[in-house]
Amino acid sequence: MLTTKKRKLSTGKLSHFQCDGVLIPFVETIPAAEDDSDENSIAELDLGSDSENEEDDEDLIADSEDESSNEIITSLEEKYSVSLQPKTIISEITGQPKRVYPPIEPDYDSDSSTEDQLNRVGNIPMHWYDDLPHVGYDINGKRILRPARGDELDKFLETVDQPSAWTSAFDENTQTEKPLTAEELDIIRRLRENEIPDANFDPYEVFITEGKPEIMPLSAAPEPKRRWVPSVWERKKVMKIVRAIRQGRILPSKPKTTISRPFYSLWDGPSEPSASTYLSAPKVKLPTHAESYNPPPEYLPNKDAISEENTFVPKSYSALRLVPAYDRFINERFDRLLDLYLAPRVQRRRLPQGVTNADDLIPQLPDPNTLRPFPTYKVLSINHQTRVRAISVSPGGEWVVSGDDSGNIRLWEVLVGRTVKTWHMDSKIMAIEWCPKKDVSVFIVGTEADLYLYVPPTVDQTSMTRTHSTLTTPVTANTESPVAWTISSTKSLDEPLLTIKLPTNSGPIKQITWHRRGDYFASVSGYQNQGTVWIHQLSKRHSQAPFRKMKGVVQKVLFHPHKSHFFVATQRYVRIYDLAAQTLIKTLMSGIRWISCIDIHPSGDHLIVGGYDRKLCWFDLELSDKPYKILRYHSRALRSLAFHPNYPLFASTSDDGTIQIFHARVFNDLLTDPLIVPLKILRGHTLNDGLGVLEGRWCPGQPWLVSAGADGLVFALSLAQFFLSSTFLRCIDWLI
Amino acid sequence: MGRLRQKGKAGAAKAYVTRSQAVKKLQCSLADFRRLCILKGIFPRDPRHRKKANKGSSAPASFYYSKDIAYLAHEPVLRKLREHKAFAKKLSRALGRGEWSSAKSLEDHKPVYTLDHIIKERYPTFIDALRDIDDALCLVTLFANLPSNSRIPPALVEVCSRLSYEWQLYVMRSQTLRKVFLSIKGIYYQAEVLNQPITWLVPYMFTQNVPSDVDIRVMLTFLELYQTLLGFVFFKLYTDIGLVYPPPMDISKDEAAAGVGAFSLQTKTATIPETVSKKDVVEVAGKKISGKDVRKTIKSIEASTSNMTNSEDIPEAVANEKDDFDKNDIMADDDFVPQPSKTQSDENIPIALPTLKSLMEQSSSINTQLFSPYTFYLSRETPRPLMEFIVRSFGGRIGWPVSQGSGSPVQEDDESITHIIVDRPVQQQQTQDQSQDQTFPHVEETEERRRLRLRRKYVQPQWVVDCINKGKILPEGPYEQGKTLPPHLSPFGMEDGAYNPEEAMEAEGEGEPVSSDEEDEPVLVDEDNRVDIPEDVDTGDASALRAAELKAEAAGVDYDTFEKAVKKKQKKRQAKDQVSDTPPAPEADMRKMLLSGKKRKLYEKMKYTEQKKVQEKETLTKRREQLKKEKKKKTSST
Repeated sequence: MLTTKKRKLSTGKLSHFQCDGVLIPFVETIPAAEDDSDENSIAELDLGSDSENEEDDEDLIADSEDESSNEIITSLEEKYSVSLQPKTIISEITGQPKRVYPPIEPDYDSDSSTEDQLNRVGNIPMHWYDDLPHVGYDINGKRILRPARGDELDKFLETVDQPSAWTSAFDENTQTEKPLTAEELDIIRRLRENEIPDANFDPYEVFITEGKPEIMPLSAAPEPKRRWVPSVWERKKVMKIVRAIRQGRILPSKPKTTISRPFYSLWDGPSEPSASTYLSAPKVKLPTHAESYNPPPEYLPNKDAISEENTFVPKSYSALRLVPAYDRFINERFDRLLDLYLAPRVQRRRLPQGVTNADDLIPQLPDPNTLRPFPTYKVLSINHQTRVRAISVSPGGEWVVSGDDSGNIRLWEVLVGRTVKTWHMDSKIMAIEWCPKKDVSVFIVGTEADLYLYVPPTVDQTSMTRTHSTLTTPVTANTESPVAWTISSTKSLDEPLLTIKLPTNSGPIKQITWHRRGDYFASVSGYQNQGTVWIHQLSKRHSQAPFRKMKGVVQKVLFHPHKSHFFVATQRYVRIYDLAAQTLIKTLMSGIRWISCIDIHPSGDHLIVGGYDRKLCWFDLELSDKPYKILRYHSRALRSLAFHPNYPLFASTSDDGTIQIFHARVFNDLLTDPLIVPLKILRGHTLNDGLGVLEGRWCPGQPWLVSAGADGLVFALSLAQFFLSSTFLRCIDWLI
Repeated sequence: MGRLRQKGKAGAAKAYVTRSQAVKKLQCSLADFRRLCILKGIFPRDPRHRKKANKGSSAPASFYYSKDIAYLAHEPVLRKLREHKAFAKKLSRALGRGEWSSAKSLEDHKPVYTLDHIIKERYPTFIDALRDIDDALCLVTLFANLPSNSRIPPALVEVCSRLSYEWQLYVMRSQTLRKVFLSIKGIYYQAEVLNQPITWLVPYMFTQNVPSDVDIRVMLTFLELYQTLLGFVFFKLYTDIGLVYPPPMDISKDEAAAGVGAFSLQTKTATIPETVSKKDVVEVAGKKISGKDVRKTIKSIEASTSNMTNSEDIPEAVANEKDDFDKNDIMADDDFVPQPSKTQSDENIPIALPTLKSLMEQSSSINTQLFSPYTFYLSRETPRPLMEFIVRSFGGRIGWPVSQGSGSPVQEDDESITHIIVDRPVQQQQTQDQSQDQTFPHVEETEERRRLRLRRKYVQPQWVVDCINKGKILPEGPYEQGKTLPPHLSPFGMEDGAYNPEEAMEAEGEGEPVSSDEEDEPVLVDEDNRVDIPEDVDTGDASALRAAELKAEAAGVDYDTFEKAVKKKQKKRQAKDQVSDTPPAPEADMRKMLLSGKKRKLYEKMKYTEQKKVQEKETLTKRREQLKKEKKKKTSST
């Protein structure tokens, strides 16, 4: 088979020579392969295809020209007397060796490059012929039929039969298998082994150049001196190092850094001030007797008293040799270290100057016994059965009216407790206030809706007539007012002399307070969250509302003792108005959540305000709108506050059932602070529905106090000495 | 209208930073931050308003002053820590690549920081540093007693033990030890150096195991700081009294477990041979020495002169006494030996300065030469480091058997030994033999031994400690071998008004006959009835008392019974007064209501602590009485 192939190839070659009639000297720089090898075939190798493209008729053609191919070549050589082999010459231009091929005559058979090309279609994609029966055209324009291809079995047999089958490649041009030449196989091997494909190429060829490469443009500058003279400076630098090494200043191998450094006198120089923020750590507590290895027996805990929480338990050992190691030693040391760097340090607040024990903190106050008189004893009690909200003492200080929740009003003598007269109304008595005028004897009763003026029967005839004349003389009708004043038709003392009807739905009367002259009085009325202030004038029998709109719910109101000022206590603030100028003077910030009561010192410069949140604020009106002192001593809400009109006393009553008496001295000079001394806590009222003492009033001119409790009792509290005299008087009264 | 203020731009929000913010700002790890804080003494602060400081958040956080952190940012140690981080990376890379030589050279040039500047910064004056060495001493003594392991290198333990020895040497030399307390936690010592009380705690000699819940890194960081601090403090202390720091250590002695004895103190003029320097260790004590002491000293000197000439081991106490003696009497002798006299004159100069101070100290009734007349010998089972330290600190001489370590200056059969410290029970055999000491193996007693034994006193270690705390030599009787020891009390003053067991003991000593009197009462009753003492006697009315006395005399009552009756009456009256004193509480209560809120809180706190103290005292006295009753019951039943 191989022979046939070879024959065919040679035939092709021959024809090629015949076709190309151009004689071109063939020059290559790389040594070429043998003449009969096909240079271009490498590109077209198909190593994977084992297909056998043999054809019988081609064999026939090839057979005829089998022997002739070699003969032709030799004959050609003979004929032209030129060797077809290349000649290596030195180029005149480049001076390098080159191969020169003999020129070829441009006639038939002159070119051997296309000699074996039977198919003359040229270098085109051969798949164009895929659907056609032929594979191209020969030189004569005849179709070259597609060679028949055997089936798979044939292919297999061929691989078995032919030992060179695996070294042949499919030639697309002829559509046949073409065995590879030894050179081609060598090239393949080289490619696979990453060698240079050309066997003749020497990569390590000695490259010889003449002199240094010329760089353009050439410089004629002379070679600088530094190129060959050794540097002085370099020498000097090196010598410096050398000298240092010789003197031992530079050690060739530095000593290890772990060598401990010697200590020296650190605190010789002047000391710098330390950082001001540094707080030195507190020292560990020194051990007590309990930590001894042999403590006194009382330090040893009882067997049953040893608690888990206490980690340290005192123990006793009879001899030092028996003492074991302390198991928490390292833990305790570690805890201390943690404290040192993790615990925030706080400068502990120093005790005030001169304070060594707790009792030094308590202010030094005069002894209460030196501040007598003040009420200390309950002298008598009046039982009202139901809750007593309102009491009032007559301006002379002899009589008391008290009103309870069942509508009973009782007039009694404070000295002996004798009830002079009782009245009954159909609603709860919310407030009672006695007119401060000495010549007119009248008290006002506030109920759940209206105000009633009663005349007590305890006055003499002249006073009575004056009262009647003041209250009943007809007055010229003023401007319209929603408040109606009606005079009673009867002269009976059982009926109220005057009735003041507030507008409907204005709510129960919360408070009544008189102006010091006894002509004006103010009332606060309203339900839980409202308060309407009315100012009533007795002489003109006229009422007016001073505030069109009030910010906050009015709790209490108060007239200034000698100025035309009007205090209005809302839930949190106390506002001071000037009634003459009709302006707001000041707002006092008490800090109390809900004000319950308010009273002013007779001097008019000090105000006390009590609240449901147990606080009592003392305001110095000249000083500030903030309290001068805030006291919190009652355990429940404050209910009432009262300054004594003559004595330096004030009392507070509270829902905790106590009455507290204070000495409150106010000095004329502005520099001395008022002196407040707690004097006495008076108990006796019992709690009822969480309410204690609802009202406390002083008797003018006497250090006596009258208190009304939620338990229905009204107490008269007085001095101890007075007790005897009062009982004595009572005896006299009974005798009479 | 004022300028608009933005939230978090002023006040607490700016003055404080949280720890995480601080770490972020310093660009270091948390461990490095902790290290820095420990070294620089920076601790968290408690802002008054945590929420304001934390910019509105109420999450738990620890706060530092921002200025402290800013101050840390410029710390050279922080830079070194960063360098160390880079070094660690380089080293691990070199090790990973197997470049051993470069790893070695890296290791050789490892960045190391020094803490000198930090010590100077934290303690601007020496006194500041001295005030703060309590914790340092505690930690160093702890580490000196720890077993070394992978975390605690043996070199570190060595340095720590060296430091603790140096401190002990200084205290012994300067005789500044004041109080010793044997507690179950360890031994508390208190020295007074430059008028600063310094207390440190030494564990008992047992192997300590580091518990797992203790972070040893924290302790090591502290130790790093404390080593430097103590080094500088000791340097100053040593040089101030004219000594060389560090004191040279004799390795051979140290290996023979000589303990403190392995170190020798040298004066500043280092050229002097060691024998002389040994002698120079002695400090002159300005204490009066009785004639008896002098005689004893002469005797001891005579005994030791023979070996003094060549041996180096001159016991310090002997040298001490000799020095005293020399100065007092035979100053001329010094002229024959030129070197010592020179050194002595040299030493006189540094010593001359503190004499006033030392005189002042002595005026405060601290006898630093308490044990100078005595020589002690330790029995095998007593703790030598403790006893050696305290006895030598108070001028005593001490010796120990070889089993306790080498370098004992006094041998067992030394004539001068006055006390033997034993801590073991008396053995049966000995009790038969009338309490013979166990330190001598009882085989057969020579006449010499018997003489020695009878001359010496056998006491338990607590005697030495109690003597020091009391400042005087206590009678040895209750502390003899085998006896039940009296309670060992803490020498650190209790607060005023706290329970004082000493007083209670004294009272008991006196009180018992009083109680027996009370038991006798029924017998006396009828007599008392006859003695009619008017009420006003007890009020201190002298004339009434006189009248009553006369009356009693007339009635034929003898004076003693009358006195007793009067006393009883007075006592009753006092008791009544005490009862009646209690009620005026409400008035105090009333005055209390005028306190402002701040003061009221303070008052309540103070009251609480006062109450607590009183309660504690009450429980202790109650317990004491109960114990007494129980004891009485027992004795009566037996």
